Amino acid sequence: MYLALLELKAARGRFLLMGCVVLLVAALVGIVSGFTTGLGDDTVSALRRLPATHLAFSPDAKSDQFARSLVPAETLAGWQQRPGVQATPLGVTITRGTTDRHAEVDLAAFGVEVGSFLDPAVEDGQRLGGDGQLVISRKLAEEGVAIGDTLTVDRLGIALKVTGITGRASYGHVPAGYVTTATWQAIRFTAPGASTPAAGLPQQYSAIALRAASSADLDGADGELGTRTVSVTDAYAAAPGYTGERVTMTSIQFFLYLIAPLVVGAFFGVWTVQRQPELALLRAMGASRRRLLGHTLVQAAAVVLGGTLAGAALASAVGLLVGAEVPFSLPGLALTATMATVALAALAGAALTLRRVANADPMTMLGAGR
Amino acid sequence: MTSLTLRQVSVSLGHGDARTPVLRGVSAACRPGELTALVGPSGSGKSTLLAVAGALLRPDSGQVLLGDTDLAQLGDGGRAKARRERIGYMFQSGNLLGGLTTVEQLLAAASIAGRPARRLRAAAETALGDVGLGHRLRHRADQLSGGERQRVALARALFLEPQLLLIDEPTAAVDRDQAGALTDLIARTARARGCVALVATHDPVVVDAATEVISM
Ligand SMILES: Nc1ncnc2c1ncn2[C@@H]1O[C@H](COP(=O)(O)OP(=O)(O)OP(=O)(O)O)[C@@H](O)[C@H]1O
Ligand SMILES: [Mg+2]
Repeated sequence: MYLALLELKAARGRFLLMGCVVLLVAALVGIVSGFTTGLGDDTVSALRRLPATHLAFSPDAKSDQFARSLVPAETLAGWQQRPGVQATPLGVTITRGTTDRHAEVDLAAFGVEVGSFLDPAVEDGQRLGGDGQLVISRKLAEEGVAIGDTLTVDRLGIALKVTGITGRASYGHVPAGYVTTATWQAIRFTAPGASTPAAGLPQQYSAIALRAASSADLDGADGELGTRTVSVTDAYAAAPGYTGERVTMTSIQFFLYLIAPLVVGAFFGVWTVQRQPELALLRAMGASRRRLLGHTLVQAAAVVLGGTLAGAALASAVGLLVGAEVPFSLPGLALTATMATVALAALAGAALTLRRVANADPMTMLGAGR
Repeated sequence: MTSLTLRQVSVSLGHGDARTPVLRGVSAACRPGELTALVGPSGSGKSTLLAVAGALLRPDSGQVLLGDTDLAQLGDGGRAKARRERIGYMFQSGNLLGGLTTVEQLLAAASIAGRPARRLRAAAETALGDVGLGHRLRHRADQLSGGERQRVALARALFLEPQLLLIDEPTAAVDRDQAGALTDLIARTARARGCVALVATHDPVVVDAATEVISM
């Protein structure tokens, strides 16, 4: 151990430099991971919070279902007759509005039936009581909307009275607000510029939210009722931007996981080649192969663990700094998992050079090249 | 006390076309407590003989007896163990580890030999004083002259009191006075500890001080 530490000290400049590279890679992985989760949450947290197992869309909507799908009230009635299934309508529309205190906000209006399983619990104020009322996500409260405010939907003139605040929920980076299905239909189907809501709005919804027992025959119901049912998690892909963001962030992470072992492997490779004379001398002085391998592992572990720990700290610090401004979420478990992956990948890179270390030839001490 | 005996040692070096017979049936005996000089023209195989005696190189045939142990019969691990526990070796060149101070060069050898390196610092400083480097304890290899580097290597070879001292051209890079002093140090050490000292050299100063001379 003493010798391993001597070597670390002798090459401290190089090890420090390498530690910094590991630190930056680890921090980058952590930050990207934080943004992946954060952006994902920002896109689908309102869907994740839906206490439903499945969503039934109209079959013609193949993508962007929440925007495209329209399911009529008769289909809802059909679903409500099916055994092993609880069904309630859901409307989803992104819009914007202005409060009477001049806060301008984007709003993902979720139309739900009062008293249904989708009707959200509130942390402050009153639950949804009837048409014209609005229960907002905590995020909107942070943007300056308060209980008692009246929020007017832009260009439609529909006035919504804020009655309660529920937990954080957003959809497509827009904070959610919950209204009755009738109010939602008014928002969805009123022509912009019309002074009063048109009478006889279509009795349609974006989707039907289902709570299905595992025995329920969903395919059979789809066939008879003319819907396309997917699990709620599969429906995330229908949220705007979700798939694209995920692919981008995941591929960045993937490449970072590739880069980590390559960089560390290249460093230890070059270092081991440079160090062949020293390794040969150590062998000539009687150090066993096992001992030199042990030293190399200890040194690699020191660099990699030091680097990833510092990288984890840096990623967390960045998270704390930007977390309020941009969607960033790096819970302890995710941080630990990503850092462990970086450390393992980096150690694997260092392991590539072990053969060279073991094969250092003490006989080169005889050679004229020295 | 342990003596060194070589019997009919043959060594060829290199591969393919470059394969050269270097030692052909060499026999020699070195007594403990004495300085044995190994002389011969450049390229005659002095360093190769030291490598065989130092368990670095396994001869193609013959015996290399250090006490009762035939080093030629040992495997890789056994030879490494013999090197770290029984042999002090000053190579012809390239002796020092980069980035370490002179004291640490000696402590590294102690660490390899499984000795408590941290507690041997004072002893290492004394050993460096013995080769006239008491004023260079904090210098690194790249801050030393060629002669100073070889003296650090000599101090390291002597440091752990090995049974067998193998020293390759100790006086090649030092002045007359230094050469005399170093030769004297080696001879005295061999006498005091009763160890075998085999010194490859071209230097008449060393040859004069030797009790035995082996010619290649
Ligand atoms: N790896 C090798 N392959 C082929 N021949 C080698 C190899 N190493 C050494 N030799 C040859 O072995 C011979 C003996 O080399 P050695 O180093 O033992 O000589 P030496 O007597 O110590 O010479 P010097 O006094 O110059 O140090 C040389 O002629 C050299 O060319
Ligand atoms: Mg030589």
